[in-house]
Amino acid sequence: MIRLVYSPPWFYGKDILIDIVSVVALLLIGFFAMRYYSLSDKNKNHLVFSISFFMLALSFLFKIATNFTLYYMDTETRKIGPYILSYHELEASSLPFYWGSILSRLLMLLGLYVLYCIYTKQEKSTVVLVTSLLLVTVYYGISVYHLFHLTSFVILALITYHYYTSYKTTKRVLTKALAYSFGIISISQLVFVFMNLLPTMYVAAEIIQLLGYLGLLGTFIMVLIHGKETKQN
Amino acid sequence: MGKKRSRIDIIVDILQSIQEKEKGIKPTHIMYRANLAHQQMKLYLEELVEKNFITKIERGNTEYWHISTTGNQFLQKVREMKEFEKTFGL
Repeated sequence: MIRLVYSPPWFYGKDILIDIVSVVALLLIGFFAMRYYSLSDKNKNHLVFSISFFMLALSFLFKIATNFTLYYMDTETRKIGPYILSYHELEASSLPFYWGSILSRLLMLLGLYVLYCIYTKQEKSTVVLVTSLLLVTVYYGISVYHLFHLTSFVILALITYHYYTSYKTTKRVLTKALAYSFGIISISQLVFVFMNLLPTMYVAAEIIQLLGYLGLLGTFIMVLIHGKETKQN
Repeated sequence: MGKKRSRIDIIVDILQSIQEKEKGIKPTHIMYRANLAHQQMKLYLEELVEKNFITKIERGNTEYWHISTTGNQFLQKVREMKEFEKTFGL
């Protein structure tokens, strides 16, 4: 039996709202990166960057669709005497939920890996090797859910480390904010690992994730504001 | 030796040099400020006129170049992009 719902019932829907905030942040940044790609004489990094952000946004959309279906579509309503009783009946083995989760996790890991590849040049053979390992992780991650969150944590931690070392070199405050945002998102993945032990861990992880994506969105807005104020060197 | 300027960098240098002079700038000054050869500058100016980024006004026997609203908006977008590139390390 595969477990797909980790949220406590009182948190149903609130996690969807948190994921929607993440989608908005990711789509906005991805959209601007795509716009900058055409503006920048086709700088390939912009294109790859936007693709990775669109993949991450799509991953959240699959997660939202799966959770929405699980939380709201399977409400059974029965009339017992004068009372109407509504309750959730989860068909966890249903194929759409299974594929929704698979696609969501696959897009998340691949999106993060594509982002990581922008900063660390990878041999083709390494890309093939890592991608196949990510596929294995996603496949087994459905039953051993820690695997997916631990892998996400490792890739996110590496991206955070890159932004932090970049900040050390450039001393740019916005790069520091970016490193912190990704750091917070990394921590959320680590907290997700323990959601099986305590349902509130899922809530905590979602809230930490929200803070991370709000940080990312805030950093991006600051980039736009700062870009308007400064003259190019 | 410095890094070779990209096409977009040259366009930005030209537009910035025009933007800095509110009363218009002479072509020779664009050449110096944007560090371009005469022929090269002519080609870029033609392209920028086509895109409605700049306009030419003749006063006496001298021509002066002015930046348009579209040109200002373009410069704004490029500055945003450069800030984005620096922050995200692209």
